[in-house]
Amino acid sequence: MLRRRFLQLIFRVTAGACATVLCAKKSLADWPEKHFSKGDFADSFQQLFGDRTIDYSEAIRLVLPEIAENGAVVPITISSDLADIQRLYIWVEKNPTPLAAEVTFDASLAVYLTARIKMAESCHVVVIAQQGEQLLRNQRWVKVMQGGCGTG
Amino acid sequence: MGSIKIRSRQLDDYTEIKLLITHPMENGRNRDPISGALIPAHFIRDLVVELNGKIILTADLGGSMSMNPFFTFRLKRSETGDRLHVRWLDNLELSDSAEYVFE
Repeated sequence: MLRRRFLQLIFRVTAGACATVLCAKKSLADWPEKHFSKGDFADSFQQLFGDRTIDYSEAIRLVLPEIAENGAVVPITISSDLADIQRLYIWVEKNPTPLAAEVTFDASLAVYLTARIKMAESCHVVVIAQQGEQLLRNQRWVKVMQGGCGTG
Repeated sequence: MGSIKIRSRQLDDYTEIKLLITHPMENGRNRDPISGALIPAHFIRDLVVELNGKIILTADLGGSMSMNPFFTFRLKRSETGDRLHVRWLDNLELSDSAEYVFE
């Protein structure tokens, strides 16, 4: 009888531990696949933001090279003094998968991010910042001399 | 796997953190130069940064990020002994993590 209880206990603990591991994996893996699907920029953009109003704002500062020699590595710096920005989206207009990144951060971080993106050809790099319920947009035109092979 | 390098430096108002991850970030559209076959997609999808066990940044990434992703971000403040934990998961379910303690 004692042995049976012991086995039941072992079973429960093991099952619990497995469930925890699976859940932990799941939380890291909730990647929004449809945001990153292949397609036209306008369609993907529409799919993500629908008909929400998006204001242009130079308060979202973008630093990108005017001319990128190598489209495989294009540095981007995004910064802003605006408060309450929780999320940044980086779009490359002409890439086969136009959304490059979706970054969410909390108030312990300043609104400052640098990254490196691929660009297939000369086009706009569009950044959308989410400030509460509001969406702000800024963009830069980057001339690409040599497209990052298989870019996007 | 040791794919993550973390560095920090103290600026006047911020602690700047640099993150370099070794990863091919293949988007599935490149061809092998010799065989001509398509190289299967292999890229980091999720990146999570925690400070003392609390998530402070999550990034969902696509194949448009460059090979060996490199990020900089700025913490408003950090104290000696604060722990930064970084982990990533890619589309082939491979993952890695690293921890960094502020001095």
